[in-house]
Amino acid sequence: MKAYTIVELHNLFKNKELSISEYYQSLFVELEKQNKRLNALVTITKEEALKKISNLSFDPSNMLSAIPVVYKDNYSTEGIRTTASSKILDNYLPIYSATAVNKLEDNNTVIVAKASLDELAMGGTNRSAYTGPVHNPWDTTRISGGSSGGSAAIVASGVVPFALGSDTGDSIRKPAGFCGVVGFKPTWGRISRYGVIPYATSLDHLGAFTRTIEDMSIVIGALSGRDDHDMTSSMKEVPDYYQNLNKDIKGVKIAILKNVYDEVTNQDIIDNMNVVIEKFKELGAIVEFVSMEQQLMKAILPAYVIIANSEAMSNHSCLDGIKFGVREPGDSPDEIMIESRTKGFSSFIKRRFVLGNLALATENQEKMFRKAQKVRRLIVDNLNQIYKEYDIILTPVSGDIAPTLEDASDDRLSEQYLILENHLILGNFAGTPSLTLPSGFSKHMPIGINIMGRLFEEQTVLNVAYALESVLPYRNQYREGSED
Amino acid sequence: MEFEVVIGIEVHCELLTKSKMFSSAQVTFGEKPNTKIHEIDLGFPGTMPSINKKAVEYAIRMCHALHMDIDHQLWFDRKNYYYADLPKGFQITQDKRPIGCNGYLEIDVDGEIKKIAIERLHLEEDTAKQVHYHDFTLVDYNRAGIPLIEIVTKPTIKSGKEAAAYLEKLRSYFLFTEISDAKMEEGSMRCDINISIMEKGSSVFGTKTEIKNLNSISNVQKAIDFEVERQKQIIINGGMVEQETRRFNEATKETVLMRSKGEAADYKYYTEPNILPIQLDASWVLSIKEQLPQLPEQRVKRYVEEYQISKVEAAILVSSKAISDFYEEAICYTKEYKLVANWILTELLAYINKHQIEFKELKITAKDLAELVNHIVKATISSKQAKQVFEEMMNTAKTVEQVIEEKGLQQVSDTSVIKEIILEVFKQQPQSIEDYKNGKTKAIGFLVGQVMKLSKGQANPAMTNKLVKDMLEEMI
Repeated sequence: MKAYTIVELHNLFKNKELSISEYYQSLFVELEKQNKRLNALVTITKEEALKKISNLSFDPSNMLSAIPVVYKDNYSTEGIRTTASSKILDNYLPIYSATAVNKLEDNNTVIVAKASLDELAMGGTNRSAYTGPVHNPWDTTRISGGSSGGSAAIVASGVVPFALGSDTGDSIRKPAGFCGVVGFKPTWGRISRYGVIPYATSLDHLGAFTRTIEDMSIVIGALSGRDDHDMTSSMKEVPDYYQNLNKDIKGVKIAILKNVYDEVTNQDIIDNMNVVIEKFKELGAIVEFVSMEQQLMKAILPAYVIIANSEAMSNHSCLDGIKFGVREPGDSPDEIMIESRTKGFSSFIKRRFVLGNLALATENQEKMFRKAQKVRRLIVDNLNQIYKEYDIILTPVSGDIAPTLEDASDDRLSEQYLILENHLILGNFAGTPSLTLPSGFSKHMPIGINIMGRLFEEQTVLNVAYALESVLPYRNQYREGSED
Repeated sequence: MEFEVVIGIEVHCELLTKSKMFSSAQVTFGEKPNTKIHEIDLGFPGTMPSINKKAVEYAIRMCHALHMDIDHQLWFDRKNYYYADLPKGFQITQDKRPIGCNGYLEIDVDGEIKKIAIERLHLEEDTAKQVHYHDFTLVDYNRAGIPLIEIVTKPTIKSGKEAAAYLEKLRSYFLFTEISDAKMEEGSMRCDINISIMEKGSSVFGTKTEIKNLNSISNVQKAIDFEVERQKQIIINGGMVEQETRRFNEATKETVLMRSKGEAADYKYYTEPNILPIQLDASWVLSIKEQLPQLPEQRVKRYVEEYQISKVEAAILVSSKAISDFYEEAICYTKEYKLVANWILTELLAYINKHQIEFKELKITAKDLAELVNHIVKATISSKQAKQVFEEMMNTAKTVEQVIEEKGLQQVSDTSVIKEIILEVFKQQPQSIEDYKNGKTKAIGFLVGQVMKLSKGQANPAMTNKLVKDMLEEMI
C-alpha cells in the first residue's frame, strides 16, 4: 500500500481517483498487518470508522475531510476505549471527547486507531505500555521511543498520514527522531489540552506526527486555537500555517546549542549536524554556535524529574477505581482505592508517584519542588537570552539512533546522557514550539534534527523545517517492512 | 482554677450560583442522585477546571461585607488527599492566597457590640456526598464541585453564646448579600469549631480540639458548652487535652472522638497548574462593592432614620430577610412607612404565629398590604374594616379592591349621602331628638349608632358623628 500524505489523499479523493471506501478497506488490512509487526496500537476502531465513512460527505474544500487519524491512547474518545496504556484504565470508556478530537471530528477526519504509549505517558521508550513494547518500523529489534511511540511508529510505517501525540519531556520529538518522521509540539497554550489524560500539567503539550511539513501545517492549524474548557489555552489568533508556508528563510538567525553539540560522540550524527548547518547556510540563514550555562544544562533533568512527578502525582490521583476504570474489590471505599491503585499501576509508575509525593511533602516542598521550579525559571531565563538574538535554536534530537529493546532504559541518569538525551525538555520548560525533522541515517536507522522557535512563532519553525525538508531527501519517508 | 475559652470558627458556605465552581453542571439540592453532573465533577481524566466568574463575584461580595482586604490576583491551589467523595483526588482551593483576608464582623451579645476578627475567606469546591450502608457505600456527585467559600475567624471568640451570635450574624449576611440560602440543616452552611481553654490571664493557648458535624447553631452552642466542660475536667484532674478531631453526637449532646492528630494527612498544597493567576479588574471589584445589597445594620439604620421606626421594631423587621424584603417591597407602594411597618409587626406576625406558617407561604402580597394601608389613610375604609379585609386577604389571596367590593365595605364619606341617612334616622327616632333638645347629649351616640346600622356600617364614623351633632344643633 502506498504511503499517502494528507495532501495526496485529499487530491485523490477530490479528483475521484481513489474511492474513499476502497481506501479504508485496504487501510484496515494494512493497519492490522503493521500492528502485528509493530504492536503500535491498543485499539483498532474499524467498525466505527467504516460506519463513519458510509455517512460521510466529502468536503473538497477541507484538506482533512475523510483523512484517517490515529490518536495516542491518552486522548479521550467518547465511547471508545481509552487506556493510556495503563492496566487501571483497561476498561475505561470516556463519556466525552478531548477538544482536539472534537476539532478533528469537525473537520471530518476518521479515527482508525488508538496508539500505544508508555504507561500514562510516563516514559521514553514505550516499553512500559500495558500492551507491551512498540517496535521501531526501521528495525523491529529497536524501540520506537516514547511516550508517543505507537503514534510515531504507525506514521513511520506509512499506513496513515498522521497521528496525534503528547509531549511532556520529549515524548513526540524523540520518537519522531527515532522513527524518522516529523514530530511537532506547538507552544504551550496553542492547542487545548482538555480531555487528554495528563502527565504533568505545566509541561504537557499536544502535537502531531506527519511525514511532511505541509501535512504538519494543516494538522496543527486545525488543532490550534482558544478553547474555553482549557483556561490556559491562548486567545491569540491562529495563522493559516499551511497557506503561509514559505521556503525563503534568508536572514533567519539560527543558534546551534553548543552544550548539546559538544556532547555528541556518534560521528554520523556529528556529520549530519554539519550537513544540516551547511544546508541552512546555503538557504541564506545565519547559523552560529551559542552556549547556555553548563550548570543549568545539567540541572534540566533533575528539575524535570521533580516537577513532572510532583504534578503527575496529583494528576493521576483521580485513578482510584471508584468512578471509572478497573475496580478491585474491597470492604470499604478506602480499601477499594488502595487495592485498585496497588494493582492498577506498574511498579515503575508507583515509584514515580512516591517520588512526586516526597517532593511535594510539606517538609520537603521548599527544598525539592519549589527549588525545582526556581531552577526551571533560571533555565528558561537563560534560554530567553538566546531568543533575544536568534529566531531558532537547533540541536540533534538524540546522541544516537534508537536503542535496542534490551539496551533501552528509562532511568539514564548517568553523565553520558544527562544533557544529550534530555535537552529537548528545554521546549517543555519554556513552552516553546519545537519540531523534529528527519535529517539523515546512521547504521540504517533514521536520525533527526530539532528546530525550536520562540513562543507562538510556529510559522517560523514550520518555514525553517519546510526549507530544510526541501533540500534533504527524506520527505515522506516511511518503512513498510514487508520483507520482515 | 478559672479558665478562659478560646474559639475559632471555620464556616463553609455553598454559593447559590447557577452552575458549579469549575464546570457547567447545575447547582441543585435534593435532586435525583448523579443527575446534575459533568465529566469535570467526576474527575474524569483529562478534564480541566474553568472558573465560574459569578462565584468569584459572590466571594468578593462577602469580602466587602466583611470589610476584608481583597487579593486582586486570583490564585488556586491543589489540596491533595484520597477520599471516596473527592473525585479528582485533590480539591481545588485557595491556600496561600485567599481572595480575602483581615476582616471583621460585629456581633451583639446581650446588648454589647463585639468585633469578631476574620482571618481569611477563600473559594473552593464542594465534595461529593457519601451515604454509607452496612455493607456498601453510595456516592452522589450532584454536590461535587458546588462553589464554596470558607470563612475562618481568628481565635477571638470567648463563649458558646458569642459563637452562636457570630454564626447567626454571618448567616444573615449570607442571606442579605444573596450569595447562599445558608441552610445548616441541608448543609449549604456548615461549621467546624476549634476550641481550647487556658488558665485565666495566661497568654499561652491550650491544646485545641476541632469539632465537626454541627448542623444547627443551637448545636454549636451545646457542643462548645460540653467541650469546654470536658477540657476543664481533664485539666482539673491533672490530664492533658489531646489535639484531635471530635464529632458532636446530637442524641447524647456530647462530643466524641473522630480521629487524633497523628492520623492527619499532609495535603501537599501546590498551585493549581491548570489555572494561571488571574488579574482581577479593579473596577469590577469596586463595582461589586458599590452594588452590595444593604446589610441588616444598614437597613435598621435606614428604617430608624428615614422611616421613624423604633430601633427595636426595626431590629425585628430585619431579623429575617423575608420580613425585611416584604417591608422593602411594601414601601414601594405606600409612603406610610411607619403604618405599614406596624401592620407587619402586629397583624402579619400575629397571623404567622397563630397559623404556624412560613413567611413565604403568605397569601397576601406586600403590594396588597401597602394598598390596604393606603385605604385606611384615605379613609375609604375604617381601621375596623381594614382588619376584616386583611383577614380575608390572608385567607384567600384576593386583592384589597376585590375584598372591599365583594364585602361592600366601601366607606361612605360623601356628606350629602350621609346627611340623607341622618334625616331618615331623625324621621324614625323623633323621641331622641326631643331628648337632645332637653339636654340629653347621650342621644347623639344613639343616633350615630342608628346611622351606622342603616348604612350597614359604611358611613364614615367620624363624619357621621360631626354631621349628627351639627344637624341637631340646627334644629334647636
